[in-house]
Parts: sequence; C-alpha cells; structure tokens
Amino acid sequence: MNAQLVLYLASVFGAIALWLLMPRGRALPWWRSGLAAMIGVGALGAGWLSAGVRWWGEVDLAGGLGGGGGDAGLSVLAVAYYYVFSGVAILSAVRVITHTKPVYSALWFVMVVVATSGLLVSLAAEFMAFAMLIIYGGAILVTYMFVIMLASQSSPEDVIEEQPEYDRASTEPVWAVVAGFVLLAALLSVGFDSPTAYGPAKGMSDGEIIETRLAERLVVTAEDERRQALSSTPAVDATTLSNSERLGLDLFEGHPLAIELAGVILLVALIGAVVIAKTKVPEEIARNAAATPGAGGATVTPTAEAGPDSPEVLGSTRS
Amino acid sequence: MEQTISSLTFSHYFLTGAVLFVLGMIGFITRRNMIVMFLCTEMMFQGVVVTLAAAAALHGNVTGQTFIIFVLTIAAAEAALALGLVILLFRRRQTLDAGAWSELSG
Amino acid sequence: MSLFDPQIAAYIPWVSGISAVVCGLLCLYPQYAKFAAGVCASAVGVGFVIALGIWGNVVGAGTAVNPEPLMRWIEVAGLEANYGVYLDGLTMIMLGVVTGVAMLVVIYAAGYMRGDPGYARFFAAVSIFIFAMTTVVMADNLVLLFLGWEGVGLASYLLIGHEYHRQAAVNAAKKAFIVNRIGDFGVLLGMFCIFDVFGTVRFEGFLPAASALLTGDGSGLNMEAAAAYAQATAVLADGGQWLLMAAPFGLMVGAFGKSAQLPLFVWLPDAMEGPTPVSALIHAATMVTSGVYVIARTMPLFELSPYALPTVAIVAGATAILGASIALAQYDLKRVFAYSTVSQLGYMFIGVAALSSTAGVFHLVSHAFFKALLFLTAGSVMHALAGQLDIRKISGLRHKMPVTFVLMGIGCAALAGLPVLTAGYWSKDLVLATTFDRAIATSGGTAFVYYAVGVVGLLTAFITAYYCFRVWFRVFFGEERYEMGDHHHGGGDGHDDDHGDHGHAHEPHEMDWGMNGPLVVLAVGSVFAGLLLGPTHVVEHLIDGTSAEANALRVGDDATPYVKAVHTAMYFVSALIAVAAVLVAYVLHGPKRKVEGDDPVRLRAPKVFGALNSKLWIDEVYGGVIVYPVRVMGSVFYVVDAVIVDTVVRGLGVVPRLLGQGVRPAQSGRLHGYGLGMALGVAAVVAVTFYAMSRGG
Repeated sequence: MNAQLVLYLASVFGAIALWLLMPRGRALPWWRSGLAAMIGVGALGAGWLSAGVRWWGEVDLAGGLGGGGGDAGLSVLAVAYYYVFSGVAILSAVRVITHTKPVYSALWFVMVVVATSGLLVSLAAEFMAFAMLIIYGGAILVTYMFVIMLASQSSPEDVIEEQPEYDRASTEPVWAVVAGFVLLAALLSVGFDSPTAYGPAKGMSDGEIIETRLAERLVVTAEDERRQALSSTPAVDATTLSNSERLGLDLFEGHPLAIELAGVILLVALIGAVVIAKTKVPEEIARNAAATPGAGGATVTPTAEAGPDSPEVLGSTRS
Repeated sequence: MEQTISSLTFSHYFLTGAVLFVLGMIGFITRRNMIVMFLCTEMMFQGVVVTLAAAAALHGNVTGQTFIIFVLTIAAAEAALALGLVILLFRRRQTLDAGAWSELSG
Repeated sequence: MSLFDPQIAAYIPWVSGISAVVCGLLCLYPQYAKFAAGVCASAVGVGFVIALGIWGNVVGAGTAVNPEPLMRWIEVAGLEANYGVYLDGLTMIMLGVVTGVAMLVVIYAAGYMRGDPGYARFFAAVSIFIFAMTTVVMADNLVLLFLGWEGVGLASYLLIGHEYHRQAAVNAAKKAFIVNRIGDFGVLLGMFCIFDVFGTVRFEGFLPAASALLTGDGSGLNMEAAAAYAQATAVLADGGQWLLMAAPFGLMVGAFGKSAQLPLFVWLPDAMEGPTPVSALIHAATMVTSGVYVIARTMPLFELSPYALPTVAIVAGATAILGASIALAQYDLKRVFAYSTVSQLGYMFIGVAALSSTAGVFHLVSHAFFKALLFLTAGSVMHALAGQLDIRKISGLRHKMPVTFVLMGIGCAALAGLPVLTAGYWSKDLVLATTFDRAIATSGGTAFVYYAVGVVGLLTAFITAYYCFRVWFRVFFGEERYEMGDHHHGGGDGHDDDHGDHGHAHEPHEMDWGMNGPLVVLAVGSVFAGLLLGPTHVVEHLIDGTSAEANALRVGDDATPYVKAVHTAMYFVSALIAVAAVLVAYVLHGPKRKVEGDDPVRLRAPKVFGALNSKLWIDEVYGGVIVYPVRVMGSVFYVVDAVIVDTVVRGLGVVPRLLGQGVRPAQSGRLHGYGLGMALGVAAVVAVTFYAMSRGG
C-alpha cells in the first residue's frame, strides 16, 4: 500500500478518535472511550508504519542513538525505548487535552515531559533530557499546579456534572480537530518525503565545526593563542567530549548574542510578572464579579455559592 | 531502500514531535480553561523540543540541543507571565473561562 | 555677483516672498502686526533699488539679457521651464513701474490701513502680489509667466476679499477669480499651441523664431531660436498653420480677462470692494496691465496672424468707449475711476494693437502714475468722510482738504490729457497717432478698423476728460456740503492716534504727510513722466526690437513725412478735445453749476443716463445669459448626481457593508475563535505549500 495513503488514513482515523474523546459536558459512555482508544491506537500504529516505510535520509541515527561509536548497530533496546516513550507521550498528550479536570491535565502533562525526556535520552541528548525533567517537571509544572489549586474549585465528588461548565465542554471540537490533523498530515507528508526531492538539510557535525570554525578562532588571533598557551586545557577533541561539554561549547561559542537576548527576555518576564502581580483589582469589581453568577461560571459548588466575598471563595478553594 | 519496522529514523521522532505539537494546538482551541490552554502551549513546545533533538542527531551536531535551552527559556518566561495574568484575570471575574473575556467583539 | 549684475534681478521676487512669509507670521502675533508695513515696504524698496541698479546694464546691453536660471524647475520631455529672468527694456519699464508704484502705495497703505484687524494679512497678500507680479514681468518662459499670472490672480482674490466679513467683498473676490479663470484657460491654450509649434516656451527661443518666420529669413539666429525656427517650419509645412493662428487668440483671451476688456471686464468694477490702496496698486496700476505686457512681449506672434491685432483693436476700442460711457453716469467716486480704468486699459490695447508696443506701454506707465494717484486721493476722501463716496452728497471740500484737492486735480488733468504738461496727454496722443499711422499704412478692411478705432479713441478722450472733471468739480467746488458715511472704514479707528479723544472723525480732514507724501510723488510723476518720456522718445528706444514693423514706423528723426504729419496733427486735435471737454464739465458741474446733488445730464436725458448708470445692464445680461443657465445646468447635474450617481455609489457602498456584516461574527472577541482561525490558516498554508512542492518536485 502506498505509504502516503497510509499516512492520510492514519490522520483521518486519529482525527476521528480524538473527536470521539473530546469532552461533551457529561461522562463518556465506556464503549465510546473504548472505540476511540482502539481507533487511536490503530492510527498511531499506522503512523509509525508509514514513518518506518519512508526512510528519511542517509544519516544513520543508530550512531547517535547508541551514544557511542558511529558504527555500532541499532540495539533492540533503543528501538523499544522509542516506541515506549513515544506511545506514552502521545497518549498522555491526548489525556491532557481531553481530561475535564485541570489538575489531572497537569499531571498528565508531567507524563508528557517525562516521556519526552526519555526520547531525548534515546537521542543522546542526556543533558537536555535532565534539564527538561528538572525545569519543566520540577519548576514550571509545579507552578501550574499551584495556580490550578489556587484558582479552581475542586468538586467534592468525582462527578463530571459538578465541574465548572468551561471545563466540561470543549469548544469547536470538529473544526479544531480538522485543522490540527490537516496540519499534521501536511507536515508529515513533507517530513516523510524523499530527501532527494528537496535536498537534505545540510548541517555541520561537531567534528567539522571544531576542525574548521573553532580551529580558525583558536589560530587566527594572537590573543587566543596566548591564552591557549597559558591555560592548561588540552586542545579540544570532539570524540572525547561529553554531551554537556559539547553543548556548552556550542552554546557559548556559537550563540553568544542569543544568550544575551535570552537573558533580557527573562529579565523582562521577571519585571512583567512583578508588575502584574502588584496590580490591584478595585474592590467593587472583585465584589461584583463574585456576586454575579453569570460571570462566575465556577460557582456551582455550594461552598462557592456560600461565599460571595472573593477572599472566602479563594479560601474555600484551598481546602 | 526499504527499512524494517525495527529500525529508527528521523521520521519517527518527527512523527512524535508533530503529533505532540498538533495535539497541543487542538487543546489550545478546544479547552476553555485558561490554565489548561497555557498548558497546551507548553505541550506544543514539547513537540518542538523532540523535533529539535532529533534534528541535532540527524546532523550529528548539538545545535538543535542548544536551541532547546532557548525554548526552555521562553517557556519559563511565558509561564511566569501567563500565570500571573491568569491570576489577575481570575481576581477580576472569579472564573477561568477564557470566554468571559470576549470584550473585544466587533 | 555685483549689485549691477542683471542676474540679481532673479532675486527681486524672492525678497517679497520672504516678506510675505514674515508678514504671514506676524498675523499670528497681533502685537507685532504694526511692523508688517515696514517689512513689506522695505522688501518692495529693495526690489526697486535692484531694478534701478541693473537698469543701466540691461538697457546698455542692447538686446534682451537672459542669464542662467536662478534655479531649475521643470525640465521634462523637451519642455524646459526654469526659474530664469528675461530682461530687456520692456521688462525694465514694467519692473520699475511695479516696484516703484508698489512702494508708494505700500507707504500710503501703512497709514490708510492702520487699525484694520487684518493689518499684517493685508501686507502679506500685497507681498504675494509683488512676488507674483515681478515674476510675470521677468519670467523667461511662458510657464513661469503663467505661474506668476496665477499668483497675481490669487493675490487679487485675497485682497478684494480682504474684508471677508462683508458679503459684497466676498462676492466680488469670487467674481474676479472666476472670470479670470476663463482668461487663464485661454493663456493655457495659447501656451500649448506655442509649445506645439516651436517646441519651446522660452522667449529666447520662440520670439526670435517668430520674428524670423515673419521675415522668412531664418539665418542669424542663435542655436535655441534656430531649433525653434526649424521645428516651426516643419510644423507649418505639416499643416500646423492653424496652431500658429490660434496661439495669439489664446493669449489674447487671457490678456482680456486679466486686463478687464470686453467681454470679461465685469469683475474689475466690483473689485473696488477691496481696500482703496489695493484698487490703486493692483486694479489700476499694475496687475490689470499684465495683459498689455503679455501682448507686447509676444508681439511677433500677433504679427504672424493677420486677424489677431485688428481683433484686439476692435475689442479694445469697444471697451474704451463703453467703459468711459458708463463712468460718465456713475455717482460712486471709486466706480467712476474703476470704469475709467477699464476704458484706459482699452487705450493701452489700442496702442499695442496698432503695432506700437511703445504707445501701449507708454500709456501704461503714465496711467500707472495718474490712476494710482486718483484712486489714492479717492481713498483719502473716503477715509476723511467715513466711507462716503457718493458725489451727490459731497461738495466743496477744497477748503477742508486742500492737498487732496490739488493732487486729485493733477490726476484728473493727467487722465483728461490736458495739453503739454500732463503725462496722459503725451501717451494718449501717441496711442491715437499710431492708430491713425496704422490705418494709413494698411488698406481695405484693416484700415477701416483702425480708422474707426482711432475715431472712437478721440471720442473716448472727450468723454474721459468730461467725466473726470465732473467728479473733481463736484467734489471740491461749490458750497461746502457733505454727509458722513456710515461705513466705519478699517482706518476709522486709526484716527484715535491723530485726534486723541475725538474717537471717529466727525469732520473731513486732511491726511497726514505719511500718506500724502507718496501721493505727491505720484503727482509729480503724472506731470513730468509725460515730458520726460514723451518728446524724448525714451520709451521707444527702450522697447526697440519687440516688433519689426513698428521699428519701421518709429516716430523719431527717421520718421516718414506723413507719419510726422499725423503726429503733429494729433498734438493739436487731442489738446483741443481735452480742453473742450473740461469746459463742458465746467459749465455743467463747475463752481457756478445750477443743479446740486444731481446730474444735469440725467435731467435732460434720463433714459440714456439711466442706462449708463445701470452699466448698460451688462451684469444683468450676463446673469441671464450665462450665470442663470449655468445655475440651471448645475441644478440638473445636482439632481442627476443625487438621484443616479449617489444611488450607484451608495449601492456599491452597501457591498462592503454587507461583507463586513457577514464577517463581523468572526471578530467575536473570543480567544478560541482567533486560535481556531489561526490554526486553520496555518494548516491551509502548509497544506497548499506541500501540494505545490509535490507538484513542482
């Protein structure tokens, strides 16, 4: 069968599965979830199949995946890693967008981050894998959890009808799914297509970079030579470098301006966050908001209805 | 050259990255809870991260991985600002519904 | 560049341009507005001094001086119109008259306009006028001339409508502007014809070429003129004769519009709604003479067409007698002089039509002196009597205003052409004499035309002398009697300076010498300019060369015998006519007149007098024949526009509105709508791109 066709079919079925799983404001019947799960898994398998059939490029990823020498064969473990982590990531992602409770969405997102980190490890990007885990899973997601806890009202029972209306029902599920999967099909069609049609993306390996660009830098200026002589560091050799060393080298040698810009962005974000946090909401606005049932879509719970005052509402949510 | 199912290529990782990205996008559109919407944008970042790392491996250098650092930077900045805004808006309307802020209607 | 280098002439307009800007700025600061007159007067004075400084060099050069242009302006597709000056005797005379009279009038106006709320604005507009007028007389090409031509029109509009709160002034300003548009259209057409034939609009190019066409000898021309001559002969051989014939008629229409000749003269009498100094400067001495200048300047073109100059002569003769007749029966002091201006402009055109730019320009110069003088003295009377201009209500002012009495007498004598001493005598005499010269020199219908025009000119001279002395006698002789006007003229408040607590003057009074000074200069000019320029033939020597045939007719030592005889005869005839007319005026209106507060002619011939007093109903006829049909047409167009065009346009306008209503829901303000739209867009773009790539690959 034509691989392209397989890809399109996989997209269509994936779209149907996702559409079936979209929250509808009430609990999904079991058969519906099951059907959707089956279609979805089938679509994912078909996608994998087409990805495998359409071999992309002549560079053997196995060398990178093995993390060792270039000529090492592809271990079964590495392949298994990929399928496991990829499957976990995609399934978790589906749950993130279909779960009606924000807290669970966030927890599923943690699973996505963990699986992504696993994929990064299988791509011999150990440093970034752990950085992702620590920064995303550790810092950012905790912040999200904190905000969710702060702002949403946990329903006393795990009944979907008790949850806020805006969490129960999704907007524009059909159009969103159509747009998403058209985009996916188009992206994958490009990504899976033969490289000869467009020419391969040409990148430089680290070895080449060190031999050409870095070597030039080291030799060209006398100052660099002097430093080189003074320092006890031996000449750089790509094969002996660890992942984090190579990363650091590339980061600071190759993208100094980008680092500065990133620093500026972080500073701006810091100041912005402080300003936003210090913005005072006029008392009457907060009170009106709390008193108006239309605006406060969340106030279906008895606790929230009991307390029109915003501090009490907030207080009740924390319990 | 045909490959068997047991081999791994860039296409596999690209598939995973693209699916994560698209799922994030769909989630951003369909969910109405502002926090979940921002969560979905973070998931789009995850898709980009996977693709970048795969591209780095494909080319045999670490530039792709370097860019993940910048993605992380932006994600962190975005999270700080977005969550600050969400809190501010919540204080005004007592709701996380993004639809409650449709005041720009034409 | 020394002060005597002709090239410096190009800066004369710009000095006034700076003055216009400065005066314009002074409008914003009323407390400094009083300096505007000084600024304007010094700018004009600088221009006058420059004109005098270069006079010797220009006149001494013998031919026209055309230095490198001051700046480049238009150079495109063979059309070359730069900001350059073309200086010869004619230009220098015009320049001297414009800047000289302007300087005197500005000094007079400094006093006259005192207390006017638009004091700085007035002098700003006057500066604009000087800028444009000097550009007109110095331009070295027709396009630049047209720029100045439009500029003087603008200044005229601004100054007629100076008291814009009065509806009459606004209407008069509009009328002047609109009537002039017709003439301007003619100038444009003439310019196009000239460019078509000669391929250039530069005087340096097409004037010698036209002269060469006249003689049929294209040799001895400079390169520019030779090129124009070559193109002209090619165009003429190619059936372009009608272009060459049409060109002078186009210019003629423009000249008639600007110089208030039939049928476009109706705006000039109304233009007297402007302040009196404006009437004196623009609508008597300078701007209205620019039509005469243009014809004198492009004389070779007019000579090329056998019908052009006779047409000018007929129109000018008709205008002269018509203007004079209407002036005969007016009671309003300024209106008398306004129609007199129309009539005298006719004289100038008769002069140029008789192939004698000399006579036309000579009369232009003397007219500039005495008509400015008359208007300014009329302004003094008006000033003194709080706007009273009705000569039925004024009488015997000679004791109250002795200086004005003498000055206006001199002006009237010059206008009447009293023999020997006055400028008007010499110039009018030359005009009439050359007209008869021309009649003798030609034959057939053309000769008849010139004879007729000459006779009409003599008749007009009689009427002119009569009506101006009628005014003078009525105003200054007889028992002392006057009614103050109700019109507190802009200068009214200015009397506070002179009279302390009196407030507005309740008595006629003499002007101070700041205002009378310039009048004395003008009076001296009115008298001695004639003696200086007339018998000495200075003007003729200056205007040498504008017309080949006129040179042959020149009234000098080398004049042919019959020409000499005509001129000698004319000295006596016109002197007799003037004296006779003054005597008639003395009998009817002099100190021993029988009828007070009315006109004896009206009592004798009420119908004729009434018709003339109503200006022969020309305004009414125009109103019925032109304005009313245009108005009706406008109404029809309005209905068509409102019913048909508007419907179509509004109908088209509905489309975007409906479209907008259809699309408006997309701008729901909902975040999800925008997100979805963006996602769909991205998906579509990527899909299309992929499709295109796979097709292309």
